[in-house]
Amino acid sequence: MTEPYLEIDGIRREFGPVVAVEAVRLTIQRGEFMTFLGPSGSGKSTTLYILAGLDVPTAGDIRLEGRSLLSTPPQHRQIGMVFQRYTLFPHLTVAENVAFPLVVRRRPRAEIDAKVKAMLRLVRLEGFEDRKPAQMSGGQQQRVALARALVYDPPVLLMDEPLSALDKKLREEIQFEIRRIHQETGVTILYVTHDQEEALRLSDRIAVFSKGVIDQVGTGEELYAHPTTRFVAGFIGDSDFLTATVTAAEKGRADLKLGDDVIVRGVPIHGDPGRPGAKASLMLRPERIDVATAPSSAVDGDRAALPATVEDITFLGASIHLAARTAWGEAVAVRLPYGHPAAAGLARGQSIGLGFEPAAAHCFL
Amino acid sequence: MAGVTRQAAAIGGGTGLAPGRPRRLPAGPFALVVPGLLLLVVFFALPVLALLLRSVTEPEPGFANYAALIGSGTYLKIFFNTFLVSAVVTLVSLAIGFPVAWTLAILPQGVAAPIFGVLILSMWTNLLTRTYAWMVLLQRTGVINKSLIGLGLIDAPLPMVNNLTGVTIGMTYIMLPFVVLPLYGVIRRIDPAILQAAALCGASRFQALRLVLLPLVAPGMAAGALMVFVMSLGYFVTPALLGGTANMMLAELIAQFVQSLVNWGMGGAAALVLLVVTLALYALQLRLFGTAGLGGR
Repeated sequence: MTEPYLEIDGIRREFGPVVAVEAVRLTIQRGEFMTFLGPSGSGKSTTLYILAGLDVPTAGDIRLEGRSLLSTPPQHRQIGMVFQRYTLFPHLTVAENVAFPLVVRRRPRAEIDAKVKAMLRLVRLEGFEDRKPAQMSGGQQQRVALARALVYDPPVLLMDEPLSALDKKLREEIQFEIRRIHQETGVTILYVTHDQEEALRLSDRIAVFSKGVIDQVGTGEELYAHPTTRFVAGFIGDSDFLTATVTAAEKGRADLKLGDDVIVRGVPIHGDPGRPGAKASLMLRPERIDVATAPSSAVDGDRAALPATVEDITFLGASIHLAARTAWGEAVAVRLPYGHPAAAGLARGQSIGLGFEPAAAHCFL
Repeated sequence: MAGVTRQAAAIGGGTGLAPGRPRRLPAGPFALVVPGLLLLVVFFALPVLALLLRSVTEPEPGFANYAALIGSGTYLKIFFNTFLVSAVVTLVSLAIGFPVAWTLAILPQGVAAPIFGVLILSMWTNLLTRTYAWMVLLQRTGVINKSLIGLGLIDAPLPMVNNLTGVTIGMTYIMLPFVVLPLYGVIRRIDPAILQAAALCGASRFQALRLVLLPLVAPGMAAGALMVFVMSLGYFVTPALLGGTANMMLAELIAQFVQSLVNWGMGGAAALVLLVVTLALYALQLRLFGTAGLGGR
């Protein structure tokens, strides 16, 4: 890792008695695509607004290449931003909107014209120069906003849920464009979204926000395979949570008791269980659960198995969703790929065994 | 209006009329306008027309009344006074009204509401009362002069009544709500994020004001300015009370022609000049800004 490019150093933001951002610490590399992912009210947008200079932290500092940005007003931070709502200047044409950052910097006309042209080519809006924002679709407007934010080559680009107002198909199309533009320009991007799929699709790394703090930072795969908090496990990907009791724990692995008599050994545990007997939850990924048509709680090699009954079967094309209930009454969702042999001949009310690998499961306190 | 017809046509299109059958415009919306139009014709258009007719028929047919109006230095001075006062009142109202409207627009609703209350209440207070109140404040022995002398800022009282200064002060106060209200409406419609975007684009406060905010509020300013200017041109009470007889304005002149001199011809001519100027200004406004600033879309 090279030296930190953008540092968020212990940012805190209070709105009266409400703490919106508690203690956010994060280092971003040059050229990185970092996404702030979290539900609304988790502090991700507030953090972004503080970076933009549109909000001021109660405590903490932000540094770009070692220099604090806090005393610099937004118009001098040289940071581009795309907002959630369409914020194009309604009285200006597309070309004038894109030219705006260069006009206020008093660049020569020829340079402005060339840059605007190049930017509109980058966002694939050539020929739209003389349109007014009101004459364009939401997706087109956001692409103009992107061009306007990038036209003066800012080192950092902030994007605050820029696609949340668009429909799914358009959103995917522009996500692809954003990825391409990130690769072509090499700009460092900080992207806020509450949509985990969007975060996974776009980002180099994701910072998961929850209640004003960052729960975990990592690549999409790291967060999916090795979540360190129950919140991250639940927010990224689908998951089943089962109540369990810790019977023994050492070196980050725990033995758990589920229901009255099912024992699962060697599950990675996050947090200190203290003494045995602590309540915990066992997290399973629905697509990593196997179905055996014979009910069993026996441990077969490295695998654990939970006795359960089929409650419902839903065919969803590429996958088959199984709603199962354990013998002690907890719901478990299972996802089998289409054509999986275990899916054939399953019926409602049938007794089955849910098999999984304890080492790939997680236990949260 | 257009929206209503379009909607009605769309509903008609959905009832399964055979294609190609000529569509009749629904009569409903037009019928609703008729009583209002009728009222305007009988009680506004006809009397005005009658007055204007008298300007070219009395005392004898021809344009002698207009020649007299334009030919006289006294009358020209009255025209000049009227336009000067109206222009100054408009400019000062905009200069004061813009910051007020802006502040009201960005204040929390709970704080803005009482300020609005004061503004509206002043509009609802009797005009004469308000004008007399200004006389009390502005006269030689009034509160303002006494305070200034007491503070040692001036030696002799400032002449602020019976001249155009007094008229301008009094009228600006009366006109202020007519600038603040349309401006407030326009400013409220501007998304604050647009100004944040301007800042992040690198615009200084002044650049954001000049390149983004002012162009966006221009229709509201134009609407307010037009309303104030036109109302000022024909204002009677305040100029009559605060201006004195030596500083007459157009409305006072018309009143004098009609009431004191019973010269309907001259009165009608002066009224026509006022009407033509007003309509010309309105046409200019429509041309520059459409109906956007007047509350239409």
